[in-house]
Amino acid sequence: MDYANPQLADALASQYVAGTLRGRARRRFEALLGAHATLRAAVRRWQDRLIPLTAVLAPQTPPLRVWQSVERTLWPQLAAPAAMQPWWQRLVVWRAASGAASMAAFALAVLLALPTVQAPPIVVVLQGTGDAAQPPGSFVASFSADGRALVTRPLTPVALESNRVLELWAVPPQGAPRSLGVISTNGVTVVPRDKLPQQVLDAARTSALAVSVEPPGGSPTGAPTGPVVYAGKLTL
Amino acid sequence: MAFTHTDRSAWAARSHELAQLMSRSALGDRSAFARLYDLTSGHLFAVVLRIQRDRALAEDLLQEVYVNLWRAVGSFDAAQSQPMTWLTSVARNKAIDSLRRAQSQPVMQSVHREDDDDDRPDLDQQLADDTPGPADLLSQAGDARRLDACMKSLTAPQRQSVALAFFDGLSHAEVASHLQQPLGTVKSWVRRALLSLKDCLERAAQRDAVGALER
Repeated sequence: MDYANPQLADALASQYVAGTLRGRARRRFEALLGAHATLRAAVRRWQDRLIPLTAVLAPQTPPLRVWQSVERTLWPQLAAPAAMQPWWQRLVVWRAASGAASMAAFALAVLLALPTVQAPPIVVVLQGTGDAAQPPGSFVASFSADGRALVTRPLTPVALESNRVLELWAVPPQGAPRSLGVISTNGVTVVPRDKLPQQVLDAARTSALAVSVEPPGGSPTGAPTGPVVYAGKLTL
Repeated sequence: MAFTHTDRSAWAARSHELAQLMSRSALGDRSAFARLYDLTSGHLFAVVLRIQRDRALAEDLLQEVYVNLWRAVGSFDAAQSQPMTWLTSVARNKAIDSLRRAQSQPVMQSVHREDDDDDRPDLDQQLADDTPGPADLLSQAGDARRLDACMKSLTAPQRQSVALAFFDGLSHAEVASHLQQPLGTVKSWVRRALLSLKDCLERAAQRDAVGALER
């Protein structure tokens, strides 16, 4: 069938939105939606026409247990006292990084191959935090010995939604994280010198690095707004 | 809840707030998501319950809808859809899919369950309740001026078949057996009803646009 044919697309979309397209035909149609912009547009137009009809239904307040079960499913750790602390103080998240020594060695080899890094770098492996939004993979960040240059690189390219970027943060032992800027999901990012705080390699100032998912251009607020998907402790 | 049956304008009026809550939710803001749930769950539950009449199943579906929303809300595009339209479509699709599963598992009927300790009315009570029938709902929906005029352009059987399919999630075959009409007849009623609704709404929108220019 020719799904680019606007009349056919429109007829199928109308039955899909009205609910009469059922069973295997419905599933096939849903599979096609991803690939055909004509179909998606037709569905949107039919939704605009028909869905407002549901406004006449008197609202039915769901029992409290529905929301409780949503919360339990999405945030199972919520009941734990650790949830009271800001995420950057929940160091347990990146204690998992202790098993990352071999990864770090590999990362070091990768980074030593970079011509931009002269002195033996200080390497931080940023591992996945297990957040639902986290794409698979891990990052490495490498400071020059004098702390005046920072390079990041994913060990494997990270697949991210097209309207999202990754932002790197320096996390102090106390207080709010500080942005080091947006980093590349698939290649080397050299963090500009003027973005690096003075004495970033001071343990009293930086205890960890973290990566969060942000809207294009980076966090609008100056603090992480999206989920923190990679984190690694800085050991000096 | 914001959307009562006398207040269809709320559909658009809350758009801005809902769109903001959705984009904050997409960035991981849980309090925004909780507020979004407060504002929308009553409507989505009504939509789901109308299609999936088993209350326990409907609750499970609603829970799944919001769990999926937390993960998918970033794909909402305020430039292309009204928030309530988008959210309602997500919930409707979930409810319709649950009917597909229930059809392949015909034992799923709460009237057969032996649970005396809960407050779920059993099936015949639910069918006998005094909630408005689908045709009543369509005439209420006609409060909106354009829809009203367009609904009137449908024949009575067309209106009834679309209402049964749209509000109650009945398949063509179920509408046919409900109305005791041949399947082919019902299919063409639904098809023609949707087409004339579309033509009528488009003409009305054009008229309004021209009217606004002349004013």
